[in-house]
Amino acid sequence: MDIRLDFISAEVLRNRSTPEKISFILERIKENVIVVLEEGLTPQEETGLIEATMKDTKDFHGIEFYRMDHTVTGLRERIASLIAGKKSGLTIVGPTRIVEAIKREPDYISMFAKVEASKKKTRAKKTKKKPKKKASKEGKKE
Amino acid sequence: MLEGLKKSLRKITRIFKKKKKIQLGFYGPVNAGKTTLANRISLDWLGEEVGAVSEIPHETRSIQKGSIQKVEDVNIETEKGSMHMNIIDLPGIATQVDFKGLQEYGLEEEEAKERAKEATKGVIEAIKYLDNVDAVLVVMDACEDPYTQINITIIGNLEARDIPLIVVANKIDKEEADPKAIENAFPQHVVVPISAATGENLDKLYEAIQEHLY
Repeated sequence: MDIRLDFISAEVLRNRSTPEKISFILERIKENVIVVLEEGLTPQEETGLIEATMKDTKDFHGIEFYRMDHTVTGLRERIASLIAGKKSGLTIVGPTRIVEAIKREPDYISMFAKVEASKKKTRAKKTKKKPKKKASKEGKKE
Repeated sequence: MLEGLKKSLRKITRIFKKKKKIQLGFYGPVNAGKTTLANRISLDWLGEEVGAVSEIPHETRSIQKGSIQKVEDVNIETEKGSMHMNIIDLPGIATQVDFKGLQEYGLEEEEAKERAKEATKGVIEAIKYLDNVDAVLVVMDACEDPYTQINITIIGNLEARDIPLIVVANKIDKEEADPKAIENAFPQHVVVPISAATGENLDKLYEAIQEHLY
């Protein structure tokens, strides 16, 4: 089966409200899409995401997610990041149907996915394939 | 802006509440030993246990169903003085609840489904309850990897709301416990290694509460 990852740029979410951001993410999760956010959510938005997930576990069991910049939590570090204009880091959110675990290693993050567990078609599969153009063959003829 | 206002209000309230009764919340992932700790404290100072402890995840499930353990009017004495508090043992925070996983603990399908449903409610209620606590013990299992998003989100929320916290590295009676890993993961916070099961280091925890939260 296919696994789809959507990479979402910071601009796409920046001007959205918290509920809009959460809906944007969960819509994709329910379609078995793994979402990679260039700019992560705030801790309050993260609890909002957990709450929304827990309210809606009929269709899916939940999510796995990980934000990569969690060490920037001390006051000094937070001030330094604000001055430097640093936002919260890259965040991976995936449905537990596919993403078994996301683990932090000293130098990298590992995501463990289980391919066989995802029976639902991804949105990528739903899109109609465009008919192949005959241009190349015809071009050769010319 | 509303969050900023709430934060300021909370700070002012805390000043006036200082040295009176505090609402001490127990937060953490599922099966970290929050209820065991609440029971231990309750047994030490009130002479009775308050909640059922189980190996099965999500034992503390729903506030509405009364599964939340609220230990009221606990007076703890330390060398530095006495503390008066309500202890609120909240359901463990999780990002997923899978009833099939619960069946592996020997629960029947219907019971597992019901527990999973209640557990999801419990997670929501525990998050909402953040507005009602003055200080928090973030209870972690010292045998588990502390770098989980649940731990990070809980601590991030408390920091953002300016709620004082202590990280409790529980289960140090177990051979595989590594409280140092928790200290390394959250160097900006006070970490107290304890065993809620055996009572080891509980005196140190009470002193830390007195010093940092009360």
